[in-house]
Amino acid sequence: MNKNNNLQDFSRFFEPRTVAVIGASTRNPHALPNVFIRRIRDFGFTGDIYPINPAASEVEGLPCYKSLADTPKPVDYAYIGVSGGQIPAMLEAAKGRTQFAHVVSSGFGEVDEGKVLQDELVAAARAGGMRLVGPNCMGLYSPRGRITFAEVGPWELGHVGVLSQSGGLGTDIIRRGRGRGVKFSALVTAGNCADVTPSEFVEYYFADEQTHVIGLYLETAKDGRRLFELLREKKACKPVVILKGGRTQQGLAAAASHTGSLAGDDRVWVALSRQTGCVMVDTLDQFVDTLLLFQSVKPSVAHPTQRVALFGNGGGTSVLATDYFARLGLDVLPFEQTTIDDMAALKLPPGTSITNPVDCPVGTLSQDEGRVAEKILDIIYGSGKPDALVMHLNLSAFAGRVKPEVLDNLMAAAIRVQEKYPGQAHFMLVLRSDGEPALEARKREFRANAVAQGVPVFDEMSNAGHALAALAAHERFALTRRK
Amino acid sequence: MKAQELIAQARTQQRPALDEQAGKALLAEYRIAVPQSRTVKSVDEVDAAFTQLRAPVVVKIMSPDILHKSDAGGVKVGMKSAAEVKDAITAMAASPQIKAARIDGYLIEEMAPVGQEIVIGGLRDPYFGPLVMVGLGGIFVEVLRDVSFRICPITRIDAEEMIDDLKGAAILAGARGRKPASRAAIVDALLKVGGENGLLMTHADDIQEADINPMIVSESAAVAVDARFILR
Repeated sequence: MNKNNNLQDFSRFFEPRTVAVIGASTRNPHALPNVFIRRIRDFGFTGDIYPINPAASEVEGLPCYKSLADTPKPVDYAYIGVSGGQIPAMLEAAKGRTQFAHVVSSGFGEVDEGKVLQDELVAAARAGGMRLVGPNCMGLYSPRGRITFAEVGPWELGHVGVLSQSGGLGTDIIRRGRGRGVKFSALVTAGNCADVTPSEFVEYYFADEQTHVIGLYLETAKDGRRLFELLREKKACKPVVILKGGRTQQGLAAAASHTGSLAGDDRVWVALSRQTGCVMVDTLDQFVDTLLLFQSVKPSVAHPTQRVALFGNGGGTSVLATDYFARLGLDVLPFEQTTIDDMAALKLPPGTSITNPVDCPVGTLSQDEGRVAEKILDIIYGSGKPDALVMHLNLSAFAGRVKPEVLDNLMAAAIRVQEKYPGQAHFMLVLRSDGEPALEARKREFRANAVAQGVPVFDEMSNAGHALAALAAHERFALTRRK
Repeated sequence: MKAQELIAQARTQQRPALDEQAGKALLAEYRIAVPQSRTVKSVDEVDAAFTQLRAPVVVKIMSPDILHKSDAGGVKVGMKSAAEVKDAITAMAASPQIKAARIDGYLIEEMAPVGQEIVIGGLRDPYFGPLVMVGLGGIFVEVLRDVSFRICPITRIDAEEMIDDLKGAAILAGARGRKPASRAAIVDALLKVGGENGLLMTHADDIQEADINPMIVSESAAVAVDARFILR
């Protein structure tokens, strides 16, 4: 018997043909359900939208319906944003005509007085014949279904599938991800996870061909056993990055009032990661950076990342980065003599360090209007043969010293050379800046260009280090456990 | 007695935990080495029991009312003759704390071979189910909390990594002239406790907490010297 028989079919959740919206108002165009209707239209949703409002005939230019039972066609996805007490009766009224209800409203299991109401909500969803996502969240972002709760998000479909219990953090993940070039297969915010549990979505993402990388922001662990068994069976065949909220006693108390989550011992998450190959991260930035790296590179399972070459400007930055990478378990060790000899043959000016880290001051990098970088990168790739190459440019140090073309040429060299050595070393760019508007504008332009070419860009060496250490851990797990 | 019967018996007697003897019997069911032992009700049975054991032996009080046997004066180690054992039992029976308690009998047990102390534990997480733990014994576990956890069931690789995770792993391997503790024996014990079809998985619905402390690991074997199982 096929084990996937139990797998919930979420295809109409992520790609609904019909969307019902409960809570859209004739008086307040700023109400979230109204905003949701406008956003999915702007995002290119072409299916039917059914506002449910027994007291109105038209909302947002669309005819209203009395209940989920009265819509012209059955509802694939219902977005529900009215106050909690009315919702159970509305779900029950669907009588099997609604597949998924996404309840964004709050006031359920995350507060003492809402716990009973949450039980009623789940019971009503069952009685109404639907699966319930939420409550206490913000909604769904699904580029292939042209559904979005977020104001901005990447227009294009990508390969990173995210489940976030927190709605606000889900928005952050979409927005910061967009800024850094992460593209999503989908992002679900699931709040209290009263009915559909996190591991059901994880199972879906594993089965979904569009999704190559899975990211989770979790507070609850109530289906922890199932999550463990699932991740254990999958052996990280797709990378899984977990940002876990409530890993300290104080954080746990905060999570209890945020999504009503009670999660046990932190040690269990460390164990989960060691046993299943999922990667735990500690901050939103690490989460987005790690997803970006997994999106950009193919894990080198046969030869896990260990030796890293650093190349860029900034002596102190190179030393600090070497320390940082070493603490993360990555090696920044001097090249072998032949590589050093090749570097020496370039006769780079004094002040240049050629052993790894390769530290080239602005004067060195400006040689040949920046084209020197191509020769250096060729030597690192061709003879140094690191597992990963981090090229870093401190844009601040170039400001006012060299012609703008120098940086253009450096960037072009970086992108050209890494294309010459496909699959040989993970290539990462770190573009450092200081917040000065003109520099930030250039950085944004460079980043967009690099990301379009599949080169991941990070803000600081430490960010690149954390993402690379996560990738290395994933590779090591895959090598030892997938036999 | 079979494993499930040991648990059923404790439940019938409304005990919240398996006593030491039942705990060791449970371990033995999972082929985890425990010291050879005999139980006696009184000094009259000591001679017969003693001849079946290899001296030196230890005597321990068995009582549902006494949780910390050493503190109550209910443990005496290193006895080489039946006469010494009888004296020890007579002295124990006279001590005030033991006089006040219900006495099930006395456990006469062979002393474990010399080795390093480790702890193997288990607990049931409300969301993830049974977890297995390993640590070095004594101050390492009590003060430094140098322990490593995994979710059951564990594989051989998990067991190996659990040992490597301990800050004191080098001590087990034999630091500063100490004899090494058998790594294979620790891995084997961890798998019997926390592996597929292991003790914790099989009795996941019954066992809230397990504490095999200490387990003495010599160069060739691991022996569970004391064990406590708290029932759910």
